[in-house]
Amino acid sequence: MDCGNPDQRHCGGKLDDIVYNTDRLCDYLKQLIIETLKLEDITVEQIDNDKPLFREGLQLDSIDALELVVAIEKIFNIIIEDEDIGRKAFASINALAAFIQDEFQPASAAQL
Amino acid sequence: MRWTETEETVRFNEVDEWGMAWHGHYMAWFEAGRMDLLRRFDLMPFQMVELGYIAPVIRLQCDYKHPARCGDRILIQTTVIKPEIAALIFQFRILLKTNQTLLARGESTQVLLTRENKMVYRISGELERRINHLLKYCQQA
Repeated sequence: MDCGNPDQRHCGGKLDDIVYNTDRLCDYLKQLIIETLKLEDITVEQIDNDKPLFREGLQLDSIDALELVVAIEKIFNIIIEDEDIGRKAFASINALAAFIQDEFQPASAAQL
Repeated sequence: MRWTETEETVRFNEVDEWGMAWHGHYMAWFEAGRMDLLRRFDLMPFQMVELGYIAPVIRLQCDYKHPARCGDRILIQTTVIKPEIAALIFQFRILLKTNQTLLARGESTQVLLTRENKMVYRISGELERRINHLLKYCQQA
């Protein structure tokens, strides 16, 4: 799968190599958020792994979440069923990485 | 792409002091077009509420190409496109009936919320069935 990511640091490997390497996954997710939501003024380095993504921190909203759900489901072949699950998954970068690591199914995932 | 057509007349109270239709009225014309399309598929706002949903507009865009004037007969053309996210995206064109001059075109995006005000990530059940009918209709050439 082409991750569509201009930052080649995060690409070129198998998806499960990234998913199970928490640091790489966190950086990958930050880049994905920046690109999906077109946060042009934000860099990967400015996003804190522990800070809430919504309201505080990046100040994302529920519509941003809707866009991220589609991107994450497509890349990681997982389902974020509803807003209750989404709220927990999007609590922070660390929470999102943990959610993906728990839900990810390597056999069904494509290559980056 | 299939477009439904809704006809309106530009009223005296809808023009500004330059004799041109005031820009805000185009939103009301989009709304008239949207309702005409939704009515065909039992997706009127009250019917969405019956199914347990509301669909607030979160994005609205309009490009103005040519002014409409008092008394003009206008055609509002409306369709929907298939979105990537769980949303309803309408596209609009407003034409002058007499010679099909394009007056404006626009787009609106609506998300879906449940009765409990929760964002819908995945459209399902009866709502999905009706929206699929709407999409199928609009995708026909």
